[in-house]
Amino acid sequence: MRISWNWLSQLVDLSGVESPLALGELLTSRGLEVETIEKMDQGFEKVVTAQILDYRTHPQADRLNLCRVTLGNGEILEIVCGAPNVKAGAKVALAQVGAHLPNGLKIVSSQIRGVTSNGMLCSEAELKISDSSQGILILPESTPLGLPLADVLGRNDAILTLKLTANRGDCLSHYGMAREVGSALLRKPKPIQVDLLVLEKSLISVHLEAQEAAPQYFSCSMIGVKVGPSPDWMVKRLEALGVRSVNNVVDATQWVMLELGQPSHAYDQDQILGRQIQVRRARPGEVLPLLDGQTLVLDGLECVIADQERAIALAGVMGGGNSQVQLSTQNLFLECAEFDPVLTRRTSSRHQKKTDAAHRFERGVDPTGLPLAMARLVQLIQELAGGQREGAVFLSSVLASDSGQSPVVSFGVHYLNDFLGFERDKEPLTLSSVREILESLDCAVDCAVKQGEDSWFVTPPPYRLDLKIQEDFAEEIARTIGYDKIPTTLPALTSSPVFGASSLPRIQVMDRAKESLVQSGLRETLNFSFTSQARLARLGFASTVSILNPLSEEYAVMVPSLLPGLIQNTLDNWSHHFGSESLAIRLFELRPVFSTLAPIQARGQMETGVIETWKLAWVMTGPRFAGGLRCEQGSVDFYDLKAVMDHLLASLGTRGIRVIPQSTSRSGQNPLFHPGQSAEVLVGNSVAGQFGLLHPSLSRDLKCRTPIGLAELDWEVLTKLSRKASEFPLFRAWSEFPTIERDFALLVKDDVPAEKLCQIAIKSGKPLAKEAKVFDVYRGAQVGGGMTSVAVRVIFYDEQRSLQESEAEAASVRILENWKKELGAVLRG
Amino acid sequence: MIEKLNAIGGQALKDIEATSSLDSLEQVRVAVLGKRGALSEVLKGLGTVSPVERPLIGSAANEWKKKVEAALETRRAILEDIVLSEKLKNEKIDVTMPSRLQHQGSLHVITQTTRRIIQVFSRLGFDVTLGPEVETEYLNFEAVNIPADHPSRDMQDTFFLGPGVVLRTHTSAVQMRSMRTQTWPVRILCPGAVYRVDDDATHSPLFHQVEGLWVDSNVRMSDLKGVLLFWARELFGDATRIRLRPSYFPFVEPGAEVDVSCFLCRIKISDSCRVCKGTGWLEVLGAGMVHPRLFEMAGYTKTQNLTGFAFGIGVERIAMLLHQISDLRLMFQGDVRLLGQFG
Repeated sequence: MRISWNWLSQLVDLSGVESPLALGELLTSRGLEVETIEKMDQGFEKVVTAQILDYRTHPQADRLNLCRVTLGNGEILEIVCGAPNVKAGAKVALAQVGAHLPNGLKIVSSQIRGVTSNGMLCSEAELKISDSSQGILILPESTPLGLPLADVLGRNDAILTLKLTANRGDCLSHYGMAREVGSALLRKPKPIQVDLLVLEKSLISVHLEAQEAAPQYFSCSMIGVKVGPSPDWMVKRLEALGVRSVNNVVDATQWVMLELGQPSHAYDQDQILGRQIQVRRARPGEVLPLLDGQTLVLDGLECVIADQERAIALAGVMGGGNSQVQLSTQNLFLECAEFDPVLTRRTSSRHQKKTDAAHRFERGVDPTGLPLAMARLVQLIQELAGGQREGAVFLSSVLASDSGQSPVVSFGVHYLNDFLGFERDKEPLTLSSVREILESLDCAVDCAVKQGEDSWFVTPPPYRLDLKIQEDFAEEIARTIGYDKIPTTLPALTSSPVFGASSLPRIQVMDRAKESLVQSGLRETLNFSFTSQARLARLGFASTVSILNPLSEEYAVMVPSLLPGLIQNTLDNWSHHFGSESLAIRLFELRPVFSTLAPIQARGQMETGVIETWKLAWVMTGPRFAGGLRCEQGSVDFYDLKAVMDHLLASLGTRGIRVIPQSTSRSGQNPLFHPGQSAEVLVGNSVAGQFGLLHPSLSRDLKCRTPIGLAELDWEVLTKLSRKASEFPLFRAWSEFPTIERDFALLVKDDVPAEKLCQIAIKSGKPLAKEAKVFDVYRGAQVGGGMTSVAVRVIFYDEQRSLQESEAEAASVRILENWKKELGAVLRG
Repeated sequence: MIEKLNAIGGQALKDIEATSSLDSLEQVRVAVLGKRGALSEVLKGLGTVSPVERPLIGSAANEWKKKVEAALETRRAILEDIVLSEKLKNEKIDVTMPSRLQHQGSLHVITQTTRRIIQVFSRLGFDVTLGPEVETEYLNFEAVNIPADHPSRDMQDTFFLGPGVVLRTHTSAVQMRSMRTQTWPVRILCPGAVYRVDDDATHSPLFHQVEGLWVDSNVRMSDLKGVLLFWARELFGDATRIRLRPSYFPFVEPGAEVDVSCFLCRIKISDSCRVCKGTGWLEVLGAGMVHPRLFEMAGYTKTQNLTGFAFGIGVERIAMLLHQISDLRLMFQGDVRLLGQFG
């Protein structure tokens, strides 16, 4: 909303408000946020009207002239000017020494080829009045001399742009703002000087059929108007306020809206067929050509203004092209109505016509304001276009008893003090001070007989549609005295809250997982939850959840996995890494992903049909160590990935974990992964997730610089068998007695999992064999094809006593027997 | 024999002194004290000596043995020192070479900032509640007093996934879910990702909020101010002031925009301040007293004297201020150049 300082000052006494800047601060402090203040005469200071007396050619330069210029006060200045259109007697704009022009030029007294120039004659471009200009600005001959140019050009104004909140529809006009400023300054706005119309029969018969859509409809006719351009002052002010001038009639309707907040419309009365106006619902499929040239096909929910045959305006939104006022128009049908906020909003949204009128109707216009607005409109058109008023009809479905009746709200001064946090019976909120504030806001304050002395019945003014409950008035009081006056206290902790809904335990486990990954040298990242179906498809993913109104194709579907985002992060990091060294990229993310099994729609108040599954995923690529010499570097491989997994699962205290090759899993090999270097993680009997290297063919297609390791786990499955936030890791005692180690070099088939050897060792060597681990592996010529040499170390001990060598020996024999029996493994010769 | 002993001993001491390595020292030891060593040989011939002389020669031989052993020890220590210093010379490395650095992990700056915000409020007794990011239009809007077809809907451009299903535009829906499942008093924080149809240097289609809700009997607007002032001072420093400006959010009444004093130009407001742009104030959150309509929607029946306050903090905004990050979008690009900067 743009507000003119000059217009506002015509409507309310602004004395005491020093400047537009001060007004801006006042309004912002009252909750009407002023975003910008545009001084239209910015750069016009020290630019005055002047007249060229005569001129001669500059003695040193043929192209320059020396002009003798007068300001009309006897003083004569010599000004150097290079413009081709200098003329003796011409009225011009003189920038005096000290001026700082809109185009940035600073005027100083300067020597130009040996002649002193005491100012400059300005062009339109230099004044930024137009984009280009041929020579200097020549003003009309009637222009008085020595006046500020800003005054002459009508630029001595300041425009405040407000970011009005949706509840303050009453401030969408200069008069509304005048009321608001007036209440702050404890003065009333100046009344609009106009006589209300006397109702009388009209040539046009009006039928108000859709009463719920148009509760009030005021109309009148004007005969014999002369449509033409609006006067300069009107065009300039409208322009400054962001409204393009059309003609004097249309401009008058705009003017009234900007002045009083009430939208209105003027029809060419001779285009109204059958001399009949119907305010009715549109007919499904009905066609309406609009003023802006677009033709709408209506669906029947809209309210239209129609004549006997056709729709001629989209009620509350925009007039029709078939009845618009043109230069040839002689007779007008004027409309000033109240249209339903919800219906207007639906209509303007559905047809994407966010007009100034719709904006105001959506927020609600003053239901008592129609007669004044219509009278003002008629007055203005008569001034600008002449004509004679004929007939005035006011139709209303609002019961006389309801009309303009605002709700009565009852509250007391104790309530206000308690609610805002002031002490009772003290300044600033006392019986008298609150009453004064309410009255400054135009509220009718009635002392309650029954309510006792500290309460009132308060009736807000009809234009304040937002004041409905006592809290609304508490805000009015608070913003009037200033939020800064409210004390600062801390609330009492009255009783313990119900902790049933707490998410802290969940967050604590999440934090534990994040901490583990951070310790493993991974950095947390956050990606958008939306991506494109194409990006997903490239990696073999597909989303089942689409956004109906996406920002772009790039962000059209919700992610089904965190891995595509992490892979994209990797590619992006590579794309801006120019060094020759391999880049370490180690990222993790813990976020929900989205899927659905059914069409997405609200089911009741709480259910959406969208499944949100939290996932923990990470990506690793590049050197194993962040630093060190090149010879000590290796690229991250499967076992680095697995190390991060092991650390994570240990930190979470997850039980029942099994890691199996994806190729042997029930769900089969995931084509995203390297078929020989990928695993599935099972927790209990549920699949918790997968990890492994990116499939080399994808790696090639994506132009990966180093092998990418990926892991993704389902958070709920993972944590079902993890330590709860409320559980503590329990202490386990260790053996104080020495251990005995035995190393075995075994020859086994190369498809025997190492884990199996260890499991058999522990099982067969019970109860003394406590640990078994593979510490070396060899494949090659010395062991023959299809075979592997595996070195296994078994550690024996007893918690209660020292072991005899012979006991370890006996257990080793059992272990070797079972290795041979179950896996065909033999000691290497 | 005594002379012989003296000759052997004297020679041995000279030989020991002359050794240059542990090996040659060992040779000397064997030559003198070994089984077939010179001293041993002399002692073997002790039997031929008269019983009167025998103890004298015996004790002289032992004297010499001790002397030689002591000399051997001394010499060994010296030689070992020489060997060690040789070894140390060879073990010298270039300490300016790069370290074998482990990879450093870090939490995202949004996670860190969210934690800091929550930590401060936790000290005042707030609990934390999470909720779904896909919400019903009802809970996201109607239930928090933003009716359909109301202009206040324009404040939050919304992504739709289906009829009546939206990506939440604020975490207020979580507050409503909480109020519906628990009775008052309520003291909760709702952190999480939220979505709006917006994308430029200061707006991201996905961003994060921490919303707070405190509902109890006789909660005052001054309490809201006190809680926010406490929070602002903990986060931005002791000297921080806050400023509430009247504003409108449908779920609160009265409503306020809340500014904190600029932490960079604390002493003197600077026109060139890159954080506050010379205004001295930073807009950081919206707040207000809970609109009574929300108690109705939550199904709270006994609402006599039941009041509350709510606030919503944009986490990115705080992170950008605290770390002076110039572009919001940088935080969502997984760029290792950024991720490594904050811890």
